[in-house]
Amino acid sequence: MGAMIEVCGLHKQFRTPVVKEGRFAGIRTLFTRECRLKEAVKDISFTIQKGDFVGYIGPNGAGKSTTIKMLTGILHPSAGEVKINGVNPHKHRRRVAQKLGVVFGQRSQLWWDLPVKDSYDILAHMYRVAPAEKERRLAELGELLDLKEFWETPVRKLSLGQRMRADIAASLLHDPDVLFLDEPTIGLDVTAKRSIREFLKTLNGEFGKTILLTTHDMDDIEQLCRRVMVINHGELSYEGTIEHLRDKIGLPTVIRIVFRGSYRLPAQEGARMPLQLRLNGAEGEFRIIEASGSEVLIEANRQQAKAMDILRMVGGWGEIADIHMEEPDFEDIIHRVY
Amino acid sequence: MKHWFDLYAVLIRSSIQSRMQYRMNFVLGTLLASLIQIAEFLMIAIILNKFGAVKGWSLHEVGYLFAVMTLSKTLYRTFASDVHHLERYLTTGELDQLLTRPMPVLLALMSQNVRLMPAELLQGSAVLYWSLHGLMSAGQITWTAVPYTLLAIVAGAVILFAIGLATAAVGFWMTRINELQTLTEDASQTAARYPLVLYPSWLRSFLLVAIPVGFVNYVPSLFILRGEYGPWLILAVALLAACVLGLALTFWKFGLSRYQSTGS
Repeated sequence: MGAMIEVCGLHKQFRTPVVKEGRFAGIRTLFTRECRLKEAVKDISFTIQKGDFVGYIGPNGAGKSTTIKMLTGILHPSAGEVKINGVNPHKHRRRVAQKLGVVFGQRSQLWWDLPVKDSYDILAHMYRVAPAEKERRLAELGELLDLKEFWETPVRKLSLGQRMRADIAASLLHDPDVLFLDEPTIGLDVTAKRSIREFLKTLNGEFGKTILLTTHDMDDIEQLCRRVMVINHGELSYEGTIEHLRDKIGLPTVIRIVFRGSYRLPAQEGARMPLQLRLNGAEGEFRIIEASGSEVLIEANRQQAKAMDILRMVGGWGEIADIHMEEPDFEDIIHRVY
Repeated sequence: MKHWFDLYAVLIRSSIQSRMQYRMNFVLGTLLASLIQIAEFLMIAIILNKFGAVKGWSLHEVGYLFAVMTLSKTLYRTFASDVHHLERYLTTGELDQLLTRPMPVLLALMSQNVRLMPAELLQGSAVLYWSLHGLMSAGQITWTAVPYTLLAIVAGAVILFAIGLATAAVGFWMTRINELQTLTEDASQTAARYPLVLYPSWLRSFLLVAIPVGFVNYVPSLFILRGEYGPWLILAVALLAACVLGLALTFWKFGLSRYQSTGS
């Protein structure tokens, strides 16, 4: 095991000229030397080991894309250094690009008007993949990703799921060490998402590829990543395992309970006061956030109270007709923490 | 080096294949371009016919200037296609994608959306043939003008490319460069279709020093058509082309390192 991606003290400032107001604003803006500095990324450092599967999450505009663009050599950092397998992508962009697979979910890297297979021929040329090697790899990828069904179809006629599979295969044709995936499941239906996730799992588990994934889909993160990094306002605010992140921020679950007939809430000293849960040795607390008609809304932290224990206690208040549990949205929670 | 040439060829071929998916569009585009070319030349021909020689330049000579500029421009725009359209790549963030590939960005840009320009090529060649033929019949030039002219066209294409590249590189700071391109490319090229002696001296210097389009057709023609200076003039033009290309490439590289990308 060695470090695959090393990032040290990474900064990125963007300069945008101050837009003038009033007469001739356009021309005056053109000649102004006044600039507004925006710090998109502030002093980020991390290391990703070979074979790691890391999720990179954070709200829009937090600096995710800027970081990825600096890692792939698209943007030059204002300060700090990046090393991909020991090589700096800003000094040796082409050498690093040769070893990288990059997939932008929003944009295809394939040739829009040509059949899928033509794109692979071009890419093989570009990445200097020998013909025999190309055939072998395409056979393998074709099987894993089911590419054969749309082999001859022009890319513009593919469905989103097909296009994404084709794009992922394209990024792997030259057998890169590292794969950067930017929103690979965006806009896909459940089945397509599942097949992409299965493939990524295989890729990481069996082929040992190092993968860095940015996504807004928390299921992606939970099912795939071993580690997560959270970025907010340009700063890395968390780095570690998902379990530890959960411990740190807790996982408030909302339980909606519908009673049949009348029920009796325990006496509460004030609205939203935590209720102590003491039952058969289980301890914890939860709170009632709303009670109207036959419905009661309960919020509990799963770290502090098990859902089963809560239900057992609530069962004593009346006859339960229906229960609905709302799983917490990971992203919401991350928002709430900052 | 061979690898880059091969790759460039592959990419250009794919680009043309993509365009051929829309055959009707290609045919219509070519027809329209032909019409525009014919109209443009007719306008010059009418003006010249009415006024006869301008400041000592005959109809054939002006036709020659016009043709060399057209052919150089066609060569430049065919082989460096999307350098002229960098603005689109900057505003949409499409440039990001080109940067993730293990090849020079410029080469990738040059081979994107390649457009064959048969109308321009045909019109330029026809006018050039007509001019050279007329001048040879009058005994003003001999067949040696042909290789010199071909050299001038290639050197001219390099100069136009360098100007286009430097203009595009400004886009790394300003993003919007359409207006600038109108000045440094379209307007300058149009102006240099006529003999520069027509213009006041400040404009002449502008077209020779600031935006050196005058070296594409006017300067070489002084020797090729009129025997002024000497054959070294053509060599000097070729040398100049190499120099401006070097400068433009340096500027381009510097600009690329300042690339800010777009938000996602």
